[in-house]
Amino acid sequence: MPAAPDPARFARQLVLPGLGLDGQGRIAAARVLVLGAGGLGSAVLPVLASGGVGTLGIVDDDVVELSNLHRQTLHTAADVGRRKVDSTAERLTPLATGTLRLHAVRFTKENARDIAADYDLVVDGSDNFETRYLANDTAVAAGIPLVWGAVSQFGGHVGAVIPGAGPDYRDLFPVQPDPSSVLSCAEGGVLPSVCGVIGSLMATEVLKILTGLGRPLSGRVTSYDGLSGRFREVEFRADTDAAERDAVEAVAGDAAPASVATSAPAAVPASAPAPPSASASTSASASASEEEPVTAQPDAGQPDEITARELDDLLTDGAPVQLVDVREPWEAEIASLPGSKLLPLGTLADRVDELDPATTVVVYCHHGARSDRARNLLRSAGLPVSHLQGGIDAWSRTVDPSLPRY
Amino acid sequence: MRYFAAAAEVAGREEETFAVDSATVGALQDDLVARYGSGMTRVLRNGSFLVDGVVVRDRARPLGRQVDVLPPFAGG
Repeated sequence: MPAAPDPARFARQLVLPGLGLDGQGRIAAARVLVLGAGGLGSAVLPVLASGGVGTLGIVDDDVVELSNLHRQTLHTAADVGRRKVDSTAERLTPLATGTLRLHAVRFTKENARDIAADYDLVVDGSDNFETRYLANDTAVAAGIPLVWGAVSQFGGHVGAVIPGAGPDYRDLFPVQPDPSSVLSCAEGGVLPSVCGVIGSLMATEVLKILTGLGRPLSGRVTSYDGLSGRFREVEFRADTDAAERDAVEAVAGDAAPASVATSAPAAVPASAPAPPSASASTSASASASEEEPVTAQPDAGQPDEITARELDDLLTDGAPVQLVDVREPWEAEIASLPGSKLLPLGTLADRVDELDPATTVVVYCHHGARSDRARNLLRSAGLPVSHLQGGIDAWSRTVDPSLPRY
Repeated sequence: MRYFAAAAEVAGREEETFAVDSATVGALQDDLVARYGSGMTRVLRNGSFLVDGVVVRDRARPLGRQVDVLPPFAGG
């Protein structure tokens, strides 16, 4: 790990509203895995490297070909025949302030989980459907965010997946297409600048998710058509029937979210990578995750979970309850329960002392996965705590239909 | 209707509004193929058919107010 970079190097982004030293610290602590050092990788990687990402992993098993050079600007004519990860490393080293990790392998079912285990976020700039679906499934299983983008001819599209807080790639494209039925870059061609447009949008999503700025492209796809010069957006959500089935499963199986968290301790979306100065909190939340299976036995008197109706009754009765929202700020802006305190899951371990240990705590999130983990974390800190079954979405469906769903 | 990428190419437009006789997904897909030919059949085979923001694959499902036809890309 190189010495901490000079803050002056990042002055023009440190000054951005809401970014600051804290945001830069998150970027510097982040470990980002980029799949593909091709056209999209050529746009994404230099920005993430020069922007200060702490650890940048690059997966590509290809060698540079002459026909790559018009759009894959990481590589030059002198690199033809070399491994793409090698020419990429040469190009990025002078730009990067963090560490580069090269994975000169194909991302496969066999190695995907192990490779992704060392990262906080996955960027999919691959060139085939098999890798695209595998990237999605791996990120969702690890509970880490995914930013994906794809190009064809004169256009492309980009989106983000925040596991537990929105739909994933399979909710948009449920069935993996037969590769022969969709044009590849080799068959249909691609305008080089389109890779730059889509790759830059992808890098923007990565920096937003790492710093918690803005609203990620979760549940939305931005589609770009170079010929018209127009961007359009498609909003989408999981099929309601499927979503309700998932919610029931999440409620039924306490073990499921716990095992996901155990396999990926750094799997907190948006605010996962803590600034270097707060490394103690990272290890604190990691150890809390590891303890989750043990904390399955409920505290005397305080149930593990509470339904939306039960919570409504409790609040209507005027019972003293500390309502804690463990989602991200952008989610709270869409909808939140009145009187709740916002403590995003990634910051919770650091901010436990903001809660009164003598008053019942009810934590909630979007669908109940993050609040389940927050409940375990707070319980191991000795607080009387339950979590809201099915999250704020269950509240919207059963108690207050006027509350927007997302 | 909103058409994206290859769907917009086949339809020759990015969006349009029309009334349908039978308000099911299958009926609308048949109508689109009748309007735009076999190119639309190819698009619908792989492309996502979103009814009010939800991908629908069951032809018997009812329609909503907005339909998006969005083909997937693999290129990177």
